[in-house]
Amino acid sequence: MDEPTSTFTFLGLTFNWTTIISTLVAMSIVVLVAVLMTRKVAVRPSRGQNAIEYVLDFVRGILGDQLPANLARQFGLYAFTLFMFLIVANEMGLLLQVKMGNGVTYVKSPTADPLFAFTLAIMSLMLAHGTGVKALGFGGYLKGMLFKPYIAMFPLNLVEQFTNFLTLALRLFGNIFAGELMLNLLASLAWGTHLNGFWIVLAFPLEIAWQGFSLLIGGIQAYVFVMLTAVFTAQLSGNE
Amino acid sequence: MVPTLSMTKAMPLGDMVFIIVAFLTLMVILKYVAYGPLTQALDARADKINNDLDSAQKANADATALVAEREKELTEGKNQASQVITAAKKSAKDQSEALLKTANDQALSLKKAAEADADQLKVEALSSAKKDVAELSVTIASKLMQKNLSADDQRSLIDAYLADLDQQ
Repeated sequence: MDEPTSTFTFLGLTFNWTTIISTLVAMSIVVLVAVLMTRKVAVRPSRGQNAIEYVLDFVRGILGDQLPANLARQFGLYAFTLFMFLIVANEMGLLLQVKMGNGVTYVKSPTADPLFAFTLAIMSLMLAHGTGVKALGFGGYLKGMLFKPYIAMFPLNLVEQFTNFLTLALRLFGNIFAGELMLNLLASLAWGTHLNGFWIVLAFPLEIAWQGFSLLIGGIQAYVFVMLTAVFTAQLSGNE
Repeated sequence: MVPTLSMTKAMPLGDMVFIIVAFLTLMVILKYVAYGPLTQALDARADKINNDLDSAQKANADATALVAEREKELTEGKNQASQVITAAKKSAKDQSEALLKTANDQALSLKKAAEADADQLKVEALSSAKKDVAELSVTIASKLMQKNLSADDQRSLIDAYLADLDQQ
C-alpha cells in the first residue's frame, strides 16, 4: 500500500493514473470480447455466441436463484456487465502488470485497488437499497432492513448492513490484492541475488501454480460479488 | 520516496467518479453490443421452442384424431361390405330357389301333359284296335260264310290272311 502512485488533479478531484489506465484496459478487453463474440447474433448460435450466451445464462442463473423473475430481468444487464467486468479485471493483473521506472505500477488488476472494490460495492449496494425502497416503500424498507425480526434487533441489523458493505468490498479487494502480492513476491524471489539461477527454477513453477490458483480465485470472486449483490437486493426488497 | 502511507495522501475521490462513469459507460456499450442482441436471441429461441412444442402437440392431437376417424370409417366400410355381401347372397339364394321352383313346376306340368297325351294315345290306339279287330272279325266271318272250306283250304286261307296282315 505504500507503493508510489502517480496522481493528477482535475476539477478539484484527485485522479490516480493506475486506476484510470487499468479500468480502461479492462473495459476495452470486455468490449472487444463482447463484440467479437456477438458479431452475428442468430437464433441458431455460432461458437462465440454460444460461449457468451453461457456467461449470460450463468449470470441469469445467479439472479434467478435469489430474485423473483421481474427483478432478475431488471438486474440482468447490470449483473452481466458486473460479471464480465470483474472477471476480466480480476484476471488481468495475472497476465499483465506494467511497472514504470519511477516505481509506479500503471497497469494491474483494477480490483486490487481497495478504492475500486469499495466503489463497486457502493454502487451495488446503492442499487440494492434503491430497489428495496422502490419495492417496499421507504417505511417498509427501513422496517425490513433494521427492525426484523423484532425491534430489539436494531443495533445488530445496523451493524449487519455496515458489514455487508465492508465484506462485499474487502472480500473482492483482499483476494485479488493478495493474489497479486503473492505473484510479485514470487517474481522478486526469482531474481534473488544469491544462488543465481536456482531461484528462477524454484520460482517459475510456483508462479505458474499461483497464477492458476489466482485464476480460479478471480473467477470465484466475480461470481461471489454478483451473487452477493443479488442476495442483498433480495434481502432489502423483501424477497428472501 | 516520501515515507507516508497512501491513506494519508489525498483520497483519490476522482477515481470513484471515474470508476462509476466507466462502469456505466461499459453497461451502455454492452447493452447495445451484447446484452440486447443476446437477450433478443435467447427470447426468440425460447419463443420458437415454445411454438414448436405447441405445434408439435397440436399436430400430434390432429394425427390421433385423424387415425381414430379413419379407423371408424374403415369399420363402417367393413360393416357395409359385409351387409352388401349378405344381401347379395340372400338375393342369389332367393333367385335360385325361385328358379328351381318354376323349373320344378314346369317339369311337373310337362310330365302331366305328357301323361295325359300318352293316356289319350293309348285310348285312341285301343279304340282303333278295337275297330280294326271288329272289322277283321267281320271280314273273316264274311269270308267264312262265303266258302265251306277244306282243312287245307282253311290253312291256306289263314296263311293268306296272315300274309295279308303281314303286308299291312
